[in-house]
Amino acid sequence: MFVNVGLCGLPHPPQLPDMDVQYEQAAREIKRLQRCINDLVSLLALPGIWTVSNPSQILHTLLDALMRMLSLDLISVRLNNPVSEAPVEIVRLAEPRGPMPSTHEICEALSGSFADNSRKWPPLLRNVLGEGDVSIVPLPLGLQGELGIIVAATQRTDFPRQTEALLLSVAASQASIGLQEAQLRIQQKHIADELDQQVAQRTAELAAANAQLQLQVGLLQHIPVAAWTLKPDGTPDFVNQVWLEYAEQTLEFVRSHPEAWMTSVHPEDREIAERSFWEGVRSGQGFAMETRFLRARDATYRWHLNRAVVLRDAEGKVIKFVGTSTDIDDRKRAEEKLLRSEAFLSEGQRLGQVGSYSWRPATDEITWSAELYRIYEFEIGVPVTLELIRSRVHPEDLTLIEKMKMVDQAREGGHHFEWRYRLLMPDHSIKYLHAIAHATRDQDGQPEYVASVQDVTARRLAEEARDKAQSELANVARVMTLGALTASIAHEVNQPLSGIITNASACLRMLATDPPQVEGARETARRTIRDGNRMSDVITRLRALFAKKEPTIESVNLNEAVLEVIALSMVELQKNRVMLCPELADELPLIIGDRVQLQQVILNLLRNGSDAMSTVEDRRRRLLIRTERDEGDRVRLTVQDAGVGFDPQAADRLFDAFYTTKRDGMGIGLAVSRSIIEKHHGRLWGTLNDGPGAAFSFSIPRTPEGPAHADSIHNLQAPAIAGPVPREDHAKPHIAANQYQRTMDALS
Amino acid sequence: MTTESCFERSAIESILVSVVDDDESVRESLPDLLKQFGFAARAFSSAEEFLASDCVDQTRCLLLDVAMPGMTGPDLQQELIRRRQAIPIIFITADRDMIVRQRLIEQGAVKCLFKPFSDTTLLEALNSALRPK
Repeated sequence: MFVNVGLCGLPHPPQLPDMDVQYEQAAREIKRLQRCINDLVSLLALPGIWTVSNPSQILHTLLDALMRMLSLDLISVRLNNPVSEAPVEIVRLAEPRGPMPSTHEICEALSGSFADNSRKWPPLLRNVLGEGDVSIVPLPLGLQGELGIIVAATQRTDFPRQTEALLLSVAASQASIGLQEAQLRIQQKHIADELDQQVAQRTAELAAANAQLQLQVGLLQHIPVAAWTLKPDGTPDFVNQVWLEYAEQTLEFVRSHPEAWMTSVHPEDREIAERSFWEGVRSGQGFAMETRFLRARDATYRWHLNRAVVLRDAEGKVIKFVGTSTDIDDRKRAEEKLLRSEAFLSEGQRLGQVGSYSWRPATDEITWSAELYRIYEFEIGVPVTLELIRSRVHPEDLTLIEKMKMVDQAREGGHHFEWRYRLLMPDHSIKYLHAIAHATRDQDGQPEYVASVQDVTARRLAEEARDKAQSELANVARVMTLGALTASIAHEVNQPLSGIITNASACLRMLATDPPQVEGARETARRTIRDGNRMSDVITRLRALFAKKEPTIESVNLNEAVLEVIALSMVELQKNRVMLCPELADELPLIIGDRVQLQQVILNLLRNGSDAMSTVEDRRRRLLIRTERDEGDRVRLTVQDAGVGFDPQAADRLFDAFYTTKRDGMGIGLAVSRSIIEKHHGRLWGTLNDGPGAAFSFSIPRTPEGPAHADSIHNLQAPAIAGPVPREDHAKPHIAANQYQRTMDALS
Repeated sequence: MTTESCFERSAIESILVSVVDDDESVRESLPDLLKQFGFAARAFSSAEEFLASDCVDQTRCLLLDVAMPGMTGPDLQQELIRRRQAIPIIFITADRDMIVRQRLIEQGAVKCLFKPFSDTTLLEALNSALRPK
């Protein structure tokens, strides 16, 4: 059975034939139409309340409204793609007016009727369940029914009337729109929520990044190097605080004056700095260069290492150059100093014939300087081994190397050693070397010797030659002095000889008388013997002075030595009408030295004093000889004359060999005397008297200074500094210090 | 010494020979020898001591050392000339200096003997000195 589809879905009463009936019918029709329009308006108003509703609420309100408007027995909705919490199916049932199939049954029945495409849906199904009449109207949601389906069912056979169909159609499209909007709203909300979340996350990330950036910027501002960035064209766009303070410029200034940094570069470095900079910028390679920058604070230039690296984007385009300028001035100066000192060292070694080496006994690793190669006459570059060294060292000095090793084993490093040894060269010549070594530890804690070695051959040979010359000179001086004392010697010998002969003559004559004068003869014989002994002593003394024998180190009583010299000189002095005044100190300590050499000095001083007074007629020719203790455990001897003195201008030259003011002198007396006194580690000096004349003194240590002392008298080494300069009147010419230095220079 | 053994000697025993020398051995030995010769003898250690003594006038011959501290032999010679004491002087010296001897003789010395000298040399010199002129 088919129903005629009318505008209204309501059951209508039976037809009435009369006018009233017709009128009543029309009034009912109008009323029904009014209701329909009201319902239509209500449906059209629904979206207004759906704007904040979810799909479930939309469907509930829609179903409720349709149930009420259309007096349906059943209405259900099924959504194909529920977007959120919307139920899959919502069903409304009216009070059943007869037996109604269950929704499930309806759906089962309908399932076969609906194709995917809603346009193929039948507009009305009737009596599908076979039991009673049920009109069912399916309404697709969405244009294609993609949203779902609304099923309206009633037992009325006139369902749907035309108005009901209109209402259902409008309701379905309203629902579709509402659902889509709700779905959109939900999706929007999701998106919005997601966006909010992303924004919040991003904000947090940004905040963290910002904090990090702040820290980095802070670091960049204050790291102890100047840091900066350049735009791709080389214009500075950031310069950190370190640089701004260094150059005393502002960021604005630097930015507005792209070449401002160049004004801080040392003028000598500008050309190369400019070239490196622009090459680095234009090539996009960055740069590294060393330049001196002016430090504004103290206007000094300091060396900086400037490095720039390039930052590029994904396409390889230059974004920025990032660079630093590091103050390397201290390092640079240290390098320069090192280079200079290395150069000095090398040059110094060459000039001083000083070589150096290091030796690690543990590995026998030896580092050998160029000068040392030359000294040892090894071919430059030949690996130096202990064996090679041994082949050069004089066989008698080889034990030194073994000693070094033993010393090393016995000690814990940090010691100084000094030794002299010889090299025996292939041509059998001998080199004298003087080595000073320092034992230390290398970085591995192994012992290492660092030594400097000086070739002292030339000095040694010169010293030997000088010693020989000095020794010969001393001998000449001795012979000269004694030659001049021939008269004294003759006197010394002849005086006792005279006594001997006279006594012997008298003795013979006494024995020849009758009776013999025995008593007198005995007395004269006794005197003969006495004078013979006296003469023997004199001859012994003279032999000592004349003999060219090696120096003898012994304890010397300076007073006795003086008295012996006086004995030898007395006649000469008397002949020259010199009045000798000895002032010899009591209990003068013994000194260690060579007695005969010291006597030569005393003799020389006495003779000089005597000679200085040979032309003096207007005053007594007084010659004072004094011995005394001196400061610093020393003994001093002074010979003071009243003679002509010496020219203060020539004071420096008094002690020079062959300087003399005497017509018949050779001028070697004082030079030799000085060398003798210095061999005794003493000093000899001269001063002018307040009155006429001069005084010459020597002061020597009572005991030898240092273990090398005894040796030094033989070897004539440079004398040690010998105590304080005597306190003489400084207004008078004082030749000691000057002359002493000269002698030192000459000896060293 | 006895008067018998040396008559002539007694005649010269009054002849005083003075010795001036700072050397003690000379002062000891020489007077003994002079006495063996028969002279009276006195010894002085310095020129000053001699001049201060009462022997200057009686001295008939002076044996005088050349080199002495203080007043030397030649100094004494000059002093005696100045005093007009014409005492014959024989210099005795250990210094064999011919120039000095020449000068001393030129200045009036009888002889200048170099030490050591023999007894006969001394006696000859004394004879020369005491020989009447």
